[in-house]
Amino acid sequence: MSLRRWSAPKALALVAITAAWLAAGVGVYLALGAHRATVAAGASRPGEEPAVAGPLQRLPGTLYLVQNGTLYRLQHGSFTPLLTARGTASWTMPAVSPNGQSLVVVRRDYAYSDLYLVDTNGHTQAQLTHDASGTVELNHWAMYPKIGADGSTLWFSYDPKDVYSSYNVVMAVWSMPLGGTASQMREWTIPHDYTGGDVQPVPLPSGAGVIYTKYALETAENRIMGQLWLSNRAGTAGVALTPPDDDCSQPALSPDGRRVAMICTGGKQLASIEVAAFDGRTLGPRQVVVSGQLAAQPTWSPDGQSLVYLAAEGITGHFQLWRQEVPPSPPIPSDVPTPIPTRPATPPPGAQVGSPTPSVSTAQAVPTPTPIPPPPPVKLTTNLDFDATSTIAWHV
Amino acid sequence: MGWRGTIALLFVGLLVSGLAGAFAYFLPVALLAYAQTGQATRDTSASPSPSAGSAAGSPFTVLLMGSDDDSKFASDAVLTQSMILVRITPATRHVTMLSIPRDLYVPLASGGEAKIDAAYSYGQAPEAVATVERNFDVHVDYWVWVGLRGLVRLIDYLGGVDVTTSNPVLDDFYPADLENADPYAYKRVLVLPGPQHLDGVHAMEYVRSRHGDIQEDFGRSQRQQQVLLALKVKARAVNPVDLPGVLASFNGEFKTSMNLGDFARIRSLLSLASQINDPSQIEQIVLVPPYTSNAVIDGADVLIANWAAIRPLVRQYFS
Repeated sequence: MSLRRWSAPKALALVAITAAWLAAGVGVYLALGAHRATVAAGASRPGEEPAVAGPLQRLPGTLYLVQNGTLYRLQHGSFTPLLTARGTASWTMPAVSPNGQSLVVVRRDYAYSDLYLVDTNGHTQAQLTHDASGTVELNHWAMYPKIGADGSTLWFSYDPKDVYSSYNVVMAVWSMPLGGTASQMREWTIPHDYTGGDVQPVPLPSGAGVIYTKYALETAENRIMGQLWLSNRAGTAGVALTPPDDDCSQPALSPDGRRVAMICTGGKQLASIEVAAFDGRTLGPRQVVVSGQLAAQPTWSPDGQSLVYLAAEGITGHFQLWRQEVPPSPPIPSDVPTPIPTRPATPPPGAQVGSPTPSVSTAQAVPTPTPIPPPPPVKLTTNLDFDATSTIAWHV
Repeated sequence: MGWRGTIALLFVGLLVSGLAGAFAYFLPVALLAYAQTGQATRDTSASPSPSAGSAAGSPFTVLLMGSDDDSKFASDAVLTQSMILVRITPATRHVTMLSIPRDLYVPLASGGEAKIDAAYSYGQAPEAVATVERNFDVHVDYWVWVGLRGLVRLIDYLGGVDVTTSNPVLDDFYPADLENADPYAYKRVLVLPGPQHLDGVHAMEYVRSRHGDIQEDFGRSQRQQQVLLALKVKARAVNPVDLPGVLASFNGEFKTSMNLGDFARIRSLLSLASQINDPSQIEQIVLVPPYTSNAVIDGADVLIANWAAIRPLVRQYFS
């Protein structure tokens, strides 16, 4: 081989060709990788991106939402973290006091959860429950807190222990004075065994009762479904507000106490948001105001004219904040009788399945089509990932 | 070598190099395909296979199996906590899912009688498939087995799943075997009700908890089908270039009789999954009474099959 054959230009060409070969191999590898699906794309943290003028900024008042165990305050389109998740502990389900000066928030840990009273800057004022235990099965869950209109009664779901079966862990609705002790806790509802029980209490503004979600086995569908109930006296079953097979849950009472928003799934995977007039005893015809989405946590605006809610978006399935204007609800027909309980408060002894379920009145069984179609919902956030199991609090 | 030769060498080199890059990318799939394919199911069914889904558009049946694979069991002798027969009819884009109760007391293909969840422990997937085929009088074209951690990792790889959980799932005696050296440790679990985004661990808690459900294993089967459908929704966005990542996420806790090296077939299956959007295209079956009834055999709670009712049902949906 002579040096002349490997002149500089040829050597450079060889280097270039080798580089091109390497680039082709690496390029194909990277190009294939770049075409992977974006199903696992991560979300931004609230407040990470600067607030922009838009519908989010125009929301009146203050909202409290949860993402990834951290409680955020939303004001004028800007998010501020108030309580941050640490270790196994996370914050969820904020409930605002009637005067807007304090919140009750759930601090959920590995095997238990407790309710905390905090100010609107997230500073702890008091630990309201003490549910931790060194023995696994003696821990408790306290969830879904709400503060009554009197500002002094705390409502929540809590799992008492079944002395006959440690496998039967169900939640019931309880109340206690805000800042009271465990001995002042009062069980309001009688949950069905082995169903998950009674959750999501919403106290009536009059203080005369509580709307909540009761879970029961729906024999026709052979599955456990949710149903809104109204209880006016502690320890009583109360009355059903929705038919069992509509699978309604997550009740939200409008600020004037005259309308109830809820989600209903009919046992399917999509959840619609429905609204009905409420006279303190019964619901009027239900209107579907949001459909075709996986919607959760409807929450009334302080003026009662609109709802915000969370709904999954895109293939990532992250839940964003949406707003929906709500048209006036049709009045409750005067001839609609007060619904009777659709099933006994507890299943027959030894029964594996629930008893047959008579339907409630026709006026409630079939959601009435909305007379005036509501405007389309407005998406308020993008690329966030709110916790759809956490309630939203909204106060002027 | 002249310029023509140099240019030819350049292009051949580019082609070879590009193929090498693609090979490196799909190497995990190729290795798993090599390791897992060829595990042919033992065909014990009375009728021959309807082409095993080889022709485009031919219906085919898959047996999905999920196991606790913690240290309670030898790695090759685990029980199947979940068995779901899935019938897919590409022409009509119809899917039928039938959950087989794990406590179903049946004759095993290897001899003797036991709960059907034990079949896998006696001869792994071929034994489980043969037992299902004999008892249900159905032909299984493919089987898929996934371990606990494999499912958790898969769901996390896909960024979680959106599920409307049916009810609060509370369990004070849920196995803590994924995070604890003691395979008999337990922990408290609470999965809240309603629409939500579940990561792998919480999706596993939702489908695996059974102590607090009035329907016991039937309720759990319904929840398993729910999460399976949520995974199918995610699969709509997955394409063949995701396969290395998906398979790596299983970390060995995945076995199948499908030929994973058949990219054309994998692509057509993913495409098919993306076309099944209408809930009315999906039939979900759980063998509640009168298809089964409770009994106690040798001190163990079991389910007795009402074959006179089950087999016509299986013929209706799986033939």
